[in-house]
Amino acid sequence: MNRLWWLRIFALTKKELLQFSRDIVLVFAVVWFFTVEVFIAGSGVTMDLNNAPVVFMDHDRSQASREWISQFKQPYFNVLGQVETQQQANEMLDKGEVLGVFDIPEDFEKKLLLQQQTSIQLQLDASNIILGNLGSSYSSLINAQYNQQWMLRNMKIVDPGTIQAPIVEERQKIRYNPEGKSTWFMPISEMMTVITLLSLFLPAAIVVREKERGTIEQLSVAPLSPFQILLPKIIAAEIIILIGVALCIFGVVGTVFQVPFRGSLFSFFLVTMVFVYAVSGLGLFISSVSRNLGQALMVSFMLLMPMLLLSGTWTPRESMPEFQQYLMFLSPLSYYIDIGYSIILKGATLDLMWLPLLELFALGTVLFWFGIRQFHRQFG
Amino acid sequence: MKWSRVKTVAVKEVIEIWRDKLYLSMAFLIPVMMMVVLGFGLSMDVEKIPFVAVDYDQSQQSRDYLHRYIDSRYFDYKGSKEHESLAEPLMVKNKIRFILVIPPGFQEKLLAGKRVQVQPVIDGLFTYQAKVVRGYVSAINADYNQQLMKQWLTKKQGMNETEINALLAPVTLETRYLYNEKMSSLWSTGSGMIMLVMLMAPAVLTALGVVREKESGSIFNIYASTVSRTEFIVGKILPYVAISFLNLLVLSWMALVLFGVPFKGDPVLYLVASLLYVACSTGIGMLVSILVKTQAAAALITLLGTMIPGMMMSGLMIPVNSMEAGAKLEAHLLPAMYQLNIVWGSFLKGQGWPELGTNVMVLALHAVVLWSLAVWRFRKRVKA
Repeated sequence: MNRLWWLRIFALTKKELLQFSRDIVLVFAVVWFFTVEVFIAGSGVTMDLNNAPVVFMDHDRSQASREWISQFKQPYFNVLGQVETQQQANEMLDKGEVLGVFDIPEDFEKKLLLQQQTSIQLQLDASNIILGNLGSSYSSLINAQYNQQWMLRNMKIVDPGTIQAPIVEERQKIRYNPEGKSTWFMPISEMMTVITLLSLFLPAAIVVREKERGTIEQLSVAPLSPFQILLPKIIAAEIIILIGVALCIFGVVGTVFQVPFRGSLFSFFLVTMVFVYAVSGLGLFISSVSRNLGQALMVSFMLLMPMLLLSGTWTPRESMPEFQQYLMFLSPLSYYIDIGYSIILKGATLDLMWLPLLELFALGTVLFWFGIRQFHRQFG
Repeated sequence: MKWSRVKTVAVKEVIEIWRDKLYLSMAFLIPVMMMVVLGFGLSMDVEKIPFVAVDYDQSQQSRDYLHRYIDSRYFDYKGSKEHESLAEPLMVKNKIRFILVIPPGFQEKLLAGKRVQVQPVIDGLFTYQAKVVRGYVSAINADYNQQLMKQWLTKKQGMNETEINALLAPVTLETRYLYNEKMSSLWSTGSGMIMLVMLMAPAVLTALGVVREKESGSIFNIYASTVSRTEFIVGKILPYVAISFLNLLVLSWMALVLFGVPFKGDPVLYLVASLLYVACSTGIGMLVSILVKTQAAAALITLLGTMIPGMMMSGLMIPVNSMEAGAKLEAHLLPAMYQLNIVWGSFLKGQGWPELGTNVMVLALHAVVLWSLAVWRFRKRVKA
């Protein structure tokens, strides 16, 4: 590998970048994905109970029942009011106008005053599993608080800190994202999705376009090895994506969403480079099986979906069925997610993460070799 | 509009799709694959959370407390560590999500009738998971406390069981889960995937349709032919509607058989609505296809333009009611939300025309608007 070898790589990389910069739509799309798309995904979504509409069927209409109801308030719940009949309630539930209906029995206050147990029924729309889970857990929490207050009042205790009884108090501590802000999680996850999509698609698109236009024939008669033809395309894709990532981190994630960057920027970019390298091998493979951009896109898409789902971008590893947990080892994104999140939010250093990084590099090399070989078979 | 010309364009399109075997197989494979992967992969069940314990007390009582977590199906015990500093790197490496720290003197204090503090440290990375884990920990702890209090009150105050229950938990909350009694992720997000997949796949498939002709230059044949704009668009789109409708039937069958989702509603309504819905999603693809010049741009724009709104602004993840004004408006402007109402209404809630009729009407309106827009924007002229 002498100076000429490097000069050729350099010249070809320059050519690829120039070509990319002239495709205005593609440039616009890349900028759009790294900024607006990340912004939309980050700002629109909260996986939390947010003004969940509920109604009450209060058959008691007593002071106690009103007090119980008054605990349900914004931002978690939005009490729409009172319904009279079960039929009315069913209608609202069916139409999806309310998430839940609380049914308070007639003798609610009476029983409480008689020191007897009483029960309230909650009918919860569980067609959306996330809301069902959150709705049920928040209402039990609110009910537990009510019970505690009732007990304290009953025992004539003003300050709960003074009771002497064997109680295990839990002082929960949430690490890394103490307020549970989805604006810290979603933008990063979206950024990684965009990186994956582009590192799959850009190299494929660059190669396939040459195929479509026939310029690939020129390249294959040039005094260049397949590796020399393909490497500049990968380098160009790397450069474009890294610029996009920088734009995203400094322009959106860090400033708009105020996500704390706890680890080192350098290691994050290094990991991103390795990841793009790993995925671009797949991109080359795509370009070798497809004849036009349309096909390239369909195949990219087909590979992207399982990669995303087997990555833990949306669902943590342990929530997956067991067979999928094993398949995750095959998805480069799962390593990247692991390392990337840990660097950004947990402040992990590379000496903690070297093993997955090495695995990612190894997986990438296998994929890259595979991609080059496919290309070689077509044009060698 | 002459039907015979529409038919000619449609037949030409079918032949073209048929000859591109890769494209053809993708058209049928992608939706099925997405359904399997998304349905099983987008699991919202929070179970088997890996955790380690740091038990500084090492007593009978602390082990008893720890076993509450070990025996729970929600947690997956990964052993215990001597010190917190040994457990934390595991959390940084995402090997565990939760550390339970039991302080020294746990048993001693409890036996003396005093309060004691434990510290559950939870990984807040996955915000939804963290919230659910918090709930589990509180529930397990509350349950343990109740048992402690019962023992203590019977011993100290001589109260009987009913009195204690009325004191500790005067109000019990009985939750009935409607429409999805088993709280199954597959029933909920699994069936919801029909909406998402059938928004994305047909749109991308169709988006490549016109642009491909633009790129290859064969569009000039159309420009020069007698076929009108409406005839061309309708003829071009119909094969994609047919493919997509077939796919939708396959996906619905998968939801029934593979995911075990019940179908309680009106099949006729569901089929009519589904046909309108694929007309909408192919319409979106067609519109994009007309507006852009290259296949790459067409596909990228459709892909991301349908994926994010389909997931985030349809009610699949967040309910439309609790969205902010802007997102709410966007949700109402897109067909996804209405189709999700229809899918969940038909599969889970057992609804028919009276409840879902409006949704079907809105879908029809969407389809008409999208198709008209496509016709209106299509120019049989080379740009100067």
